[in-house]
Order: sequence, then structure tokens, then C-alpha cells
Amino acid sequence: MGATEQTIQATLQLPLVALLGNPNCGKTALFNRLTGARQKVANYAGVTIERKEGSFTSPDGRPFRLLDLPGAYSLSATTPDEAITRDVVAGLRAGEQAPDLIVCVVDATNLRLNLRLVLEIKRLGLPMILALNMVDVAKKRGIEIDADKLAVELGMTVVETVAVQGGGEKSLLRALDQASPLQHTSANPLSAIDAVSVETTQREVRRILAACSSDFHDTGNLTEKIDDVVLHPVLGPVILALIMFLVFQAVFSWANVPMDLIKEGVEGLGKLIGAHMGDGVLKSLLVEGILGGAGSVLVFLPQILILFFFILILEDCGYLPRAAFLLDRLMGGVGLSGRAFIPLLSSFACAIPGIMAARTIQNPRDRLVTIMIAPLMTCSARLPVYALIIAAFIPQRDLAGFISLQGLVLFVLYFAGIAAAMAVAYFMKRTVGADRQQPLMLELPSYHWPHLRNLGIGLWERAKIFLSRVGTIILTLMILLWFLSSFPGAPAGATHPPIYYSLAGLLGRGLELIFAPIGFNWQICIALVPGLAAREVAVGALGTVYALSQTGDDLATSLTPIIAGSWPLATALSLLAWYVFAPQCMSTLSVVKRETNSWRYPLLMAGYMFGLAYAASFLTYRIALLMGA
Amino acid sequence: MTLAPTLITLDSLAVGKSGTVIHIAPGAAGEQDQGVDLARRLMELGFVPGEKIRMLKRGMPGGEPLAIKVGNATFALRRFEAARISVQPE
Repeated sequence: MGATEQTIQATLQLPLVALLGNPNCGKTALFNRLTGARQKVANYAGVTIERKEGSFTSPDGRPFRLLDLPGAYSLSATTPDEAITRDVVAGLRAGEQAPDLIVCVVDATNLRLNLRLVLEIKRLGLPMILALNMVDVAKKRGIEIDADKLAVELGMTVVETVAVQGGGEKSLLRALDQASPLQHTSANPLSAIDAVSVETTQREVRRILAACSSDFHDTGNLTEKIDDVVLHPVLGPVILALIMFLVFQAVFSWANVPMDLIKEGVEGLGKLIGAHMGDGVLKSLLVEGILGGAGSVLVFLPQILILFFFILILEDCGYLPRAAFLLDRLMGGVGLSGRAFIPLLSSFACAIPGIMAARTIQNPRDRLVTIMIAPLMTCSARLPVYALIIAAFIPQRDLAGFISLQGLVLFVLYFAGIAAAMAVAYFMKRTVGADRQQPLMLELPSYHWPHLRNLGIGLWERAKIFLSRVGTIILTLMILLWFLSSFPGAPAGATHPPIYYSLAGLLGRGLELIFAPIGFNWQICIALVPGLAAREVAVGALGTVYALSQTGDDLATSLTPIIAGSWPLATALSLLAWYVFAPQCMSTLSVVKRETNSWRYPLLMAGYMFGLAYAASFLTYRIALLMGA
Repeated sequence: MTLAPTLITLDSLAVGKSGTVIHIAPGAAGEQDQGVDLARRLMELGFVPGEKIRMLKRGMPGGEPLAIKVGNATFALRRFEAARISVQPE
């Protein structure tokens, strides 16, 4: 047996602990606290959709494997993510035994709901520890829980935890040490759970609560007062629109200074290289290929971080389910399940996690519609494309003294994506059919202040994702593109810049035949091709292509003034319309293939999005030309 | 004053009013086949006979969706879901 195999064997023999509980009770926060991992947490149900594994060592030096599972209201799974939880706990997953111990995490502010799942799981007969999480919030609200009495009533160890606080997990670690060494017990069959009716279980919950907890009526608390305003039939939608509007304003007005700094840095580096290197292939690769390409994408880091700063705050404080509430009529009207909101919202970061989050939708048809429209939500990779074109063509001017015109255009583009998604969903409802009403059943959690630590980690993760994309896939494609754009060189007596005669130029001029009717020149056509791998590469590609297209000595590495000078406004608007639909993202299509287990849907998606993109760009271009742009 | 039972379905409970859950109507026979046992789901969220509930908010337009407090949790339901739940208003 090799050393690695031995390690794997040893790891598999470690006791396996599973975190289980209702959605949004703090399982993932506890998981992160115990293992030092950085899994995403937010204040709404259904953030964790897959089983995540980590490991940790207890204070007594005992190593454990830890599983974080998707939250569930019960073990009678109706959605794919809940099925994962059920199968793992019952040991039904292929090649995996049931956990040695279950840590049942409950939200101490809502035992009434949470305890029923505890009683259900108890019937499986596995060793259990109850983690009474969020005890700090419960105490603040005046909820008294007698943990010792609760332990007697439930017949298991009960510990108090505060997963969002350093050290809040200590009591759980101690309890795990006391419970060790763990003996593996096999779980009772799942049918043991259904042996008692939900009603009887709830009566038992009420009895236990009466014995262990102060009778308290949670009325008129702060969350309800906020909801009075935020969910108000008239004020609510106005506030939602205002928040979204402000976010897009901030993306432009706050980002100027850091963007200029990055731009100057990149240009300075380009000049430095230009001054100290002799003309040649390597200099061209460095300045035009790498700095002109990857550098022009890097500039958009501040705008992406500002967008996520707001998204993370809204996620963490608990506003997002309220937004789902306010938009539910619209979603239901086009035949979408209420559960589609969170997957669609995730798609604003990237369609891939959004498509995966569609696993929380029970009905296969609803799930499919959600998957098909997820890429119409404006993902963060489109932001650089929008920002580049807007900065070049939309004057930096204020309307009515305080509304930035650029921010307004961005807002409209995001809105166009949403409107298109709703229209496609409606079309699918009409064609594929939805004879049944779609359930909502969405929990509106209590508000809390965003945790700075979460915010910091979230932004750092975003920056890392973006920078690693720039450093790997974007950089590689830029070098490849530079190569294709530089060879073969121009023939003798050439009238165009050398790129025109290169392989990439040949390709671009070929594609121009298809795209000329919507106003794209051959340079844009070249940029669309590497954009298939990652949308923001299109920006970098334009950077490289235009850096190589320039004749003369004025080597500008900054793309904005170049395209502002060389594209008609109609072309710019047409490209914006194209990117609202932008079918070209290979990784999205491959995830759709994986999630639907068929080639049919990714092909259908690519086809319909290409068709819509072409039609939208054609209309935009022609109308803009007619209006004299 | 009337002695007749005054049960109503939850979707017709006025905003700000409280009540007690009396009964959840089971679905039509075909429902379980589609993988959604609505009645069971509602009970799992805490809409169990004997529980106190309160209507917090209604959306616009058409008074939908509904924000309902049950126990210490708040859930948003669409009208047809709430119509499954019979309540005794206070």
C-alpha cells in the first residue's frame, strides 16, 4: 500500500460528524468556524446545495471529518438538494456510510420550527448532539431556554453555540471530546421517521417547549417593524427599485479613483517596457498582448468589487427574500416558481452557481425553465464589457443634477436582461405548458447587521476569483490571440496594419460577413471568439486587437479613447444589446449539460440566445442608424 | 353573535389578524405523483393544527403573496397554498 493510499485509508477511518438542521440556522457558519473553511454563508434559505466536507481536530487532539449538508425542514426530501441530506444521513449514498454522529444545529430563536426536525432525526437512532445556535440573539430577544432540561427531554447532549463569533464553537468541541471515542451505529430505516405523524411530533415539540423555555410572544419586534415598511405594497417596490438604482450609480461614481490608479499603473508599466526594450516580438507580446489585453480587463476590478459589496450586504442582512416577496407576482405571472428567485439572483454573479442552485426547485419543469433563463441575468463577467462601452460612448454627465447618466444606462442594461428572462419564461410557459400553480413557501428570516468578517471574506474571494481569471484563462487567451494576430506578418506593400493579414484578421474578416448587418467590424468579430471562453475576455481581446491595429508611434494601452474614436455610436449600442443576451459562454453550456444530463438543453440555450442576441443587435443597430447615430 | 363555526381559509384572513390553524386540506390524488405533497410541506413549515398564526402583509397587486407568521418564523405563501389551511380567526 502506497503512502497516499494509507493516508486516504486513515482519513476514511476518522469519525464522521454531520451538521444537520433547518435552512438558515447557521450550519455553514459553524462548519467554517470548526474547519477554518470559507464556504459561502448568507441570511436566506438554500445557500448550501451540495455536501461539503472538511476536517478539524478537537482540543484533546482527536481528528474528525465534518460534513456540511443542505438545510432541510424535514427528511421527506422533495428537492434534489434535500435528497442529498436525506441520503447522507441515512447512509444511502453509494460508497458512503452513515455519519458516526449527527450535530443537529437549531436556531435558538425559533425552536418551535427547528425542534420537529430534531425529533424526526432522533428516530434514526444515531448518536446526536444538539447545538443550540444563535443563543446570543435569543437572549437579546428575551428568550430563556433551559439547556439542561432540554437535554433531559430530548435525551441528548445540548450545547450552546454562537457560530458567527470566534470561540462560539468551544462548547461543541468539548461535547465532541466527551462523546469520543465514537462507536459506529447503523441508522434505522427512513420509514422510522414516518411512523409518527407530523401533528403528533408538533404536539411533542409544544410539550417540550412548555417545559424548557419561557413562554414568549415575539410580536412587534424590529424585524416586523422593518417589514412594515419594506414589504409595504407601495413603498416596498419603490425601495427595491431605489436600492438597485443606487447600486448601479455607485458602480460608476465610486470606481473612478481606483480605476484610474490601475489604468495609470498599467500604462506606466507599458511605457517603462517601451522605453527600455528594443522593438521586437517580445516587446510587442508584453505591451500589446499582455498589458493591452489582460491589463484592460484588470481595470474593472473596482467596479466588480463595488457591485459585490452591495450584493453581499443585501444577502447577509436578510433583505433578499423580501425582494423575492415583492417580485413574486411578476415571477408567478410568467410561470416561475417562487424558489426560482435565489438561483436567478445568484446568476448576477455568474450563471454557473445560479444553474446549480436551481436544484432547490422541486418540479422538474420549473427547474428547467429556471436553468434556461439563468444566463440572461447579467453576470459579473459582462460588467467589464458594459463598463468599457459605456465609459467610451455615454457622456459622463448628471441628469437632474444627481443621477449619473452612465449609471442609468447600466441600470437599463441589467433591467433589459431581467425583462428578457421574464419574456422567455412566459414563452416557455405558453409552449411547454404550466397547468399547475407553483408553490412559494419562502422563509423570511429575521434581519441582522451584516457581519464585517463575512463581507471581508466575500469581497476577498471575489477579488481572488477575478484576479485568478485574469492571471490564468484571460492571460493565456491573450497570448494566444496576440500570436494569431501577429502571424503571418503583413505582405510587402500592405495598406492595412499587419493584424489585418494575420490568422485572427482572416477569421475576423470572415465573421464580419455574418455580423456586418448588426454593425460589428472585423476587430469586434475577432474579440467575440475568445469571449466564448470567458465573456470579459472580449474586452481584453479588443485591447490586444486595437493595440496591434494602431499605426504610428502613439502607443496607447488604454482602450476607451481608441474605441470612442473608431466606432460609430450605433455599433457601440448594438454591441451592448448583443451582450445582454451573449450566448457565448462555454462553461455555462457545459454546466447545463451536466445538470440536465442531456445535450438537448445546452444546444437549445445556445441557439435561442444567439437568435435573440442577433435580433436585438440588429434592431438596435438599425434603429440607431435611422435616428442618425 | 353566532354559534356556527367561523372557520375561514388562511388566504382570506385580513392583514394584522391572528388565528389558530385547524386543518390542512390534503391534495388531490394526482398531487403526490408530481413530487409535491403540498399539505405535508406546509405542515413541515409549522402550519400544524393548533398553531397560532398571524397575517403580516399582503403583496401587490391582488393581495398576493402573503407574509404569515407561524410560531416565531415568517413564511411567504401564494394564495392557493394558503387556501389549503383552515383557520379559526380570533
